[in-house]
Amino acid sequence: MIDIDSYAYSNNLKTVHPAEKSLFALISMVACLTATTVITPLIVLALMAGGIVLKAGIPARIFVRLMIVPLSFLLIGVLTIAFSVSTNPSGFWLAQTMYGVTIGIHYPDLITAVHLFLRSLGAVSCLYFLALTTPMTELITVLNKLRVPVIITELMVLIYRFIFVFMETATTIRRAQLSRSGYISMKRSFHSLSLLFSALLGKVFVKSQELYDSMAARCYSGEIKVLTKKHPVSPGNYLIIIGLEIPLILLNLLWR
Amino acid sequence: MSEIILEAVDLEYSYPDGTKALSNVNLKVQKGEKLAILGSNGAGKSTLFMQFNGIYRPNSGSIKYQGQDISYKNRALIELRKQVGVVFQDPDSQLFSSSVYQDISFGPLNLGLSEEEVRERVKQALIDTETTDLEDKPTHLLSYGQKKRVSIAGVLAMEPEVIIFDEPTAGLDPRHAQEFMQLLEDFSLEGKTIILSTHDVDLAYSWSDRLAIMSSGEIIAHGEPRELFLRPELIERADLALPWLLEMYCGLVEKGWLPPSTPLPKTRDDLLRSIPTKTDTTG
Repeated sequence: MIDIDSYAYSNNLKTVHPAEKSLFALISMVACLTATTVITPLIVLALMAGGIVLKAGIPARIFVRLMIVPLSFLLIGVLTIAFSVSTNPSGFWLAQTMYGVTIGIHYPDLITAVHLFLRSLGAVSCLYFLALTTPMTELITVLNKLRVPVIITELMVLIYRFIFVFMETATTIRRAQLSRSGYISMKRSFHSLSLLFSALLGKVFVKSQELYDSMAARCYSGEIKVLTKKHPVSPGNYLIIIGLEIPLILLNLLWR
Repeated sequence: MSEIILEAVDLEYSYPDGTKALSNVNLKVQKGEKLAILGSNGAGKSTLFMQFNGIYRPNSGSIKYQGQDISYKNRALIELRKQVGVVFQDPDSQLFSSSVYQDISFGPLNLGLSEEEVRERVKQALIDTETTDLEDKPTHLLSYGQKKRVSIAGVLAMEPEVIIFDEPTAGLDPRHAQEFMQLLEDFSLEGKTIILSTHDVDLAYSWSDRLAIMSSGEIIAHGEPRELFLRPELIERADLALPWLLEMYCGLVEKGWLPPSTPLPKTRDDLLRSIPTKTDTTG
């Protein structure tokens, strides 16, 4: 997760307007999820892989590693769709019958499973594209522009920031515990972990008060107003997005 | 002669849990001066700073800004905080956004400035604190010193009259601490009033025009740094130590290397200048 976050700030597409990247990822994702053929997800997958590896310059190794993460969930889900168990051995495309129970695959189920598998993988790749190329702070700005309620975006700003503050604090406490053999046995580990959590909870309250004070010191009056650095809007990018997405949508509509 | 910009009058303050934090604090801050508040940990420096911009309200006594008691109404507090900026000790509790640019723009936007004006101020603050190359980085990937400079930029962008720094050099390496002191020198030349707290006696001695020494919630002495540091009982009571400059100076005078009439050195250069070049008398 931290890897994804650091790539978001250091990839070759970081200067591209976040709205353009979001648009590209979202339309591709919708096209992929509504696809009636396996070709659309494959094209989306290829597009995103190309975008992430070739355009954004993120190592292919990282991309592959990230794609493997959802693979395990997906495979389990897909296998349960593909395989059926029945007492009636007819209609199976591939089957094994034991003690009167048939375990096997119906051909249409297999097709559904493959579709589902590719669609999910394609959609995930779209999300990865967005996550790997666009910093969270810029995504929040896009949400702001889309008139998402301020309370949600403000919370996102604070939560995102404090994930890192608390992770740092937790890492420090854990290191201090480790250096005093706090995790030497299972029993001690549970004890140390509980201490870590209670220490962290105490810090949450102190930190939140400090944060409020420091924001008040800068004239905070109930609404977090911030400016974001301007990104150049590129008509060229919009043309590319249109040029890539329209064929995908047409493919979905015409392929029956 | 000089105008008093900020003043604490008979301040008394206890934390909600009853801990006495400030008692009978009287302090005058002159416009444009460099005031250092020296004190050991827990002496009440940070608490005093929170009084100066109205974050904490005294139990009795008052804070005056430009001769007027400050009001604790929302509107008035915002007006006050526009003039009195505080840079907190821990940058992690000041930086609320993961984007450097966003965080710096927060203060000036709260002042109701136009977008162009805010962008201009953010740009200037980035230049002043030498953080322009950090503007695209997220705060969590910055080093401690970088975060500290960004948190300073966030206050600078509001262009306050008085800037209060809570332990500004704590946690900075010598090079950045020195650069930071240079930055303070620049503000001072612009006519800003600067208050800082520290327990670094060398820094307080060389930098400040005036010094206030705090110990367990009280100001036990204030005045010229040279005067205060020559009162050993005071230094001991506040759990402080002599600046190395003064110790060196006293040693040199005692051993006859410097005539007792030599003026007290304010900086390292002063001391080096007053030491005579050795002339070879044996050969």
